[in-house]
Amino acid sequence: MKKQDFIKELSEELELETVVTIASSIKDLDEWDSMGAMILIAYVSDTFDVTLDADDIESITTFNSLIERIGEEKFLE
Amino acid sequence: MNEICYPSLRGKKILVTGATSGIGKGISLELLKQGSQVIGIGRNNSNIKNDLLSNSNFIFIQLDLTKLEEIEKVLIDCVDIHGKLDGVVNCAGRQETIPLTIYNYHKIKSLYDINVFAGIEILRIFSKKKISNNNSSVIFISSVMAELGEPGLIGYCSSKAAILGVVNSASLELAKRKIRVNAISPGIVMTQMVENLFIKISQDNIDSIKDMHPLGIGQVEYITPSLLFLLSNQSLWITGQNIKVDGGYSVQ
Repeated sequence: MKKQDFIKELSEELELETVVTIASSIKDLDEWDSMGAMILIAYVSDTFDVTLDADDIESITTFNSLIERIGEEKFLE
Repeated sequence: MNEICYPSLRGKKILVTGATSGIGKGISLELLKQGSQVIGIGRNNSNIKNDLLSNSNFIFIQLDLTKLEEIEKVLIDCVDIHGKLDGVVNCAGRQETIPLTIYNYHKIKSLYDINVFAGIEILRIFSKKKISNNNSSVIFISSVMAELGEPGLIGYCSSKAAILGVVNSASLELAKRKIRVNAISPGIVMTQMVENLFIKISQDNIDSIKDMHPLGIGQVEYITPSLLFLLSNQSLWITGQNIKVDGGYSVQ
């Protein structure tokens, strides 16, 4: 999956109303809350078979840091 | 009920499953009287030619809800044409009496497809912002049997109990958007579903079932007022609840 497709799909899952980039801070989003975290964990698990735990959620900042946690090698670019 | 009891329902778009018979048909007719627009889902429309289909505020969608993978596209297309929804009444369901010894996995799963999974799938799609308005109301028709038991009703009782779990959790997940999710649990209501049951059992059995309702056996019009109330703004602080409308059946 391309990084931009990942961000687009995740934005749809989180029903974001603003356009985000790889540098956007996830936790500054209006839509970010405990349900958002739950959606993020489930989406990453389904798509990449990667299980994020509470520490991961705590340490993630931008979409780029999320991609690094999932593993750059899992993306096409 | 001919008067407009709930002005807040005027112009609201309410999706009703199982709209062609029983409680689903009853609530569809009442909503039309309140000035709502009703999107009714049913397997066929032969039962509603004279009443519902003649009303321009009623939109019929022919869909077998056990084809779960078809639901999403149908709802998205519907919203594209008619606009976002303000409520759902999940009435579609089946009753069957099958003893445990022959109740294999495939039989029970087929009951769960319509009684549980179709409702969850509709709720999942409805919960998207592009499908529903904030302050919407969702109602699941459970049954007093969700919390009681009868021989031969393992599938029916457990599927109706599952709905109560859906209501509890969904009410919390959707509270952020002020979407309310509640269940109505009727006692035995004289609908085609119950008539189909009654033709299979003895008159003594029928009489004893009727006797179990202190206020008498149910009629569709005993159920619809509570549905209108839960859909309206009059109930805006009620969510995650299961309201029994059963003529006193469950207090005994």
